[in-house]
Amino acid sequence: MAFLDMGGYWAYVWPAYAVTLVVMALNIIWARQLLKRSRKEALRRLSIGGNQT
Amino acid sequence: MAWTWFHRLASPPHIYRVAGRLTPWFAWPAALLIVAGLIGGLVLAPPDYQQGDGYRILYVHVPSAWLSLMAYTTLAVAAGVGLIWRMKVAHAVAASCAPIGASFTFAALVTGSLWGKPMWGTYWQWDPRLTSELILLFLYLGYMGLRSAFDDVQRADRVSAVLAVVGVVNVPIIHYSVIWWNSLHQGPSVMMLGKPTMPPSMLIPLLIMFVGFTLFFGALLLVRLRGEVLGRERTASWIREALRP
Repeated sequence: MAFLDMGGYWAYVWPAYAVTLVVMALNIIWARQLLKRSRKEALRRLSIGGNQT
Repeated sequence: MAWTWFHRLASPPHIYRVAGRLTPWFAWPAALLIVAGLIGGLVLAPPDYQQGDGYRILYVHVPSAWLSLMAYTTLAVAAGVGLIWRMKVAHAVAASCAPIGASFTFAALVTGSLWGKPMWGTYWQWDPRLTSELILLFLYLGYMGLRSAFDDVQRADRVSAVLAVVGVVNVPIIHYSVIWWNSLHQGPSVMMLGKPTMPPSMLIPLLIMFVGFTLFFGALLLVRLRGEVLGRERTASWIREALRP
């Protein structure tokens, strides 16, 4: 309990950690989405564009 | 002859492959170090004699702020290289840095204001450090907004690179703001040259977080870079090779 209370600063410490962890999680999701989207679009270009090298 | 490595480095298929292979070497150590840093910062480090447990915000605030500056510096250098040597891959690096840097600038501002409230009595002050960090957020947003205004990636790369390079003047301003002006923000917590201002039990979790955040940035950059490189590529043969399962 004393740990959760953070010496009375719980209302500042926990939101600060929460915001940082959410930003980290979102970054992981966004980066993966970008790569997935680029892969899909590249495949689409391949199927349209045929064989230019 | 001495330049072959440079050309190979700049070749999109090579970058795509190497970035993919390097990602886990950044991601897993980053995850381990950040978990260790969280335990160290929240549990093992002693409370501060002045700020009690409130100072523990430092362990997420300072690395976020560090990342916000590191990402911008990387962005500006890459954009400059892209402009001078017309390197597609360098522009791809710059574009990859922006969303990462912007989000951690946001995190640095929010965690900072959550620290400011109990310690200074206010969430926000138009103080040099805070204001210049807010400008950094606007620079990132401006850079991304400018990019999205162009349909042509190559034009977006060139135009946004100019903004990125000009905006880099803000980086030393942020860094030295607490020294140049009489700021409400406290001075540097970690003296790189000279003796540290913190006891090792407080400093070690912070250093672990620094390395963890830096590696995390590296991992995110590598994943994004692969997406950006692939998005710029029109050569069918290597795309087919890259996407082969």
